[in-house]
Amino acid sequence: MILPVEVAVGAVRGGTSILYAALGETVSERAGVINLGTEGCMLVGALAGYGVTAQTGNPWIGVLAGAAAGALLAGVHAVLVLSRGANQLATGLVVLFLGLGLTSLFGAAYVGRSIHAFKPVAIPGLSSIPALGDIFFKHDPLTYLSYLAGPAVWWLLYRSRPGLILRAAGERQEVLAAYGHSPLRVRYLAVIGGGALAGIGGAQLSTAYANSWFENMTQGRGFIAVALVIFAAWHPLRAVGGAYLFGAALALSPALQARGFGLNQFALDAIPYVVTILVLVVLGRRRAHAAPEGLKKVFEMAT
Amino acid sequence: MTRPDSARLARGAARLALAYAAALVLFGAFILTKGANPIEVYSAMWRSTVTNGTSVGQVLVKAAPLILAGLAVAVPARAGLVNVGGEGQIIIGAVAAAGTALALDGKLPGAVMILVMALAAAVAGGIWAGIAAVLRLTVRINEAITTLLLNYVAIDLLLYLIYQPWKDKHGSGQPATRSLAEGARLPLIGTSKVHDGFLIAVVATVVIFALLRWTSWGFRLRVVGGNAEAARRAGLPVPGLLLSAMVVGGALAGLGGMVHFAGAEFKLRPGMTLNFGYIAFLAAWLARHDPLKVAGAAVLLALIAIGGDSLQVDSGLPAAAVNVLMGLVLVAVMGRGQFRRKPPVAAVAPVAVAGVAA
Repeated sequence: MILPVEVAVGAVRGGTSILYAALGETVSERAGVINLGTEGCMLVGALAGYGVTAQTGNPWIGVLAGAAAGALLAGVHAVLVLSRGANQLATGLVVLFLGLGLTSLFGAAYVGRSIHAFKPVAIPGLSSIPALGDIFFKHDPLTYLSYLAGPAVWWLLYRSRPGLILRAAGERQEVLAAYGHSPLRVRYLAVIGGGALAGIGGAQLSTAYANSWFENMTQGRGFIAVALVIFAAWHPLRAVGGAYLFGAALALSPALQARGFGLNQFALDAIPYVVTILVLVVLGRRRAHAAPEGLKKVFEMAT
Repeated sequence: MTRPDSARLARGAARLALAYAAALVLFGAFILTKGANPIEVYSAMWRSTVTNGTSVGQVLVKAAPLILAGLAVAVPARAGLVNVGGEGQIIIGAVAAAGTALALDGKLPGAVMILVMALAAAVAGGIWAGIAAVLRLTVRINEAITTLLLNYVAIDLLLYLIYQPWKDKHGSGQPATRSLAEGARLPLIGTSKVHDGFLIAVVATVVIFALLRWTSWGFRLRVVGGNAEAARRAGLPVPGLLLSAMVVGGALAGLGGMVHFAGAEFKLRPGMTLNFGYIAFLAAWLARHDPLKVAGAAVLLALIAIGGDSLQVDSGLPAAAVNVLMGLVLVAVMGRGQFRRKPPVAAVAPVAVAGVAA
């Protein structure tokens, strides 16, 4: 396989779990709630997905369980932020630690256990297209679903009525309230739905990508997802692009090393973060305007 | 104190006690599902953390960087800034200390070496946080975002150094840097197992408390944090104050990284910071950014973290499971409902500073 194709294959393979989480976080932040605990939601999703797949033998039930687990943990965040008025950045971190702890407590039993994981399915016809076939059409079913998830979230946010209401909750909740909707309920749904997507991302990681469970297996992907949302200026399709960009950065170094080029993995890993900061510097003000009004208030809070 | 006041205080204390109790009961329930006896687990945790001199030492050793990194959140918060970058600033501090040690190995007497390392770490941490402050003041990028992103850049820088240029060629197993020379390590306090880093943290707490309380700098920070526009109209140098708050914060966290490196780790290794930056953020938040309380909260969270070792050794549960207890304590304390009725001064969002957007 030639280098660009190999990297692109790796980008899709490695980017998918981040993609789900970034879409979830986009939904949540569009409603005005940032969830730094996305990492925790991914972790519980990964374990629930793996554990339930191990028990039932059906990875689809596992994914549902992963989504439920992610939603449940995000629910804790939602209660603290929305009903208790706690600081969003702090509760997000609390949710992260809860996720870390719960998965290590209940995950120990699943370390080293094997499951009937998702198998890659080559799509007949499409998978034989040169290059593109390898890149897009020889993956697990959750990856195929992720191709639909980006446009679906975009459609939901920008072309549907619920999406309009959701964005209004993040921009001007007074207006929403004046029209007789409950901003609180919308935000609850957005945060919990975002957690469910992060949970699916985690489940993809354990039941389709790694086919194993180990402690802290998300290794920062949830934080990457949060950073990506900012990079993407709260736009779902740009978040998809960002997730693949990140996947490509992860895949580039091993691909180069296999060809005899020594390149430090960690220098490459830092690129997406540096690029995000540079993008913010260059597009600073324009990007800043893209941020939902409700979110700006969060960042300006001292505590 | 009038009677309603004391009644409210008592009610507040009761709520807090109830919150801690609820967290303990819930964690007990989790432990129970894993087939362990919660009462035995708790008593083992208690025995091996509080009643045992060695463990008390371990708690204080762990608390030292947490206190410093907690102050690193509290000082910028005074000026209305959110520093989520403690983790990165700790790493950069540790990297600067280790780099200094590698470069000057054996050329300086131990005590001087410690001073130089501490200075390098504080400067490096200050610069790292300063980047975020400068970006905020010039191109108006929110500092919560940049400090968070810079954490990952710092982690990758650390890993890059450990895996390539600074790797100990003779080391085996996990890649790490060469061990810090004995003479350059932070000395222990008396006959205890606690190193001087804890003293540094205590002194820093008192100094920061005094600075914020009794100097014009501390007063001005509070004015800026309360209402930046009013501060500007009153003729205060708002950008300079914001920058100074962030740089001082970064320097404290950087010092925390040096203390952790030269007092406990002695080498750079992957994962050496153990989420200290994030735990410290929570400690600062729990303490509402009051320096003295930050130190207390840091010790409490260090105590819980050390309790994790007991979980593993005494009860056969994974050490990381203690994060559940930490999370539950924080959920209970945050969710106990005090914030809604009457937010304390520090929890009230300051008016937008300099029209900054996210």
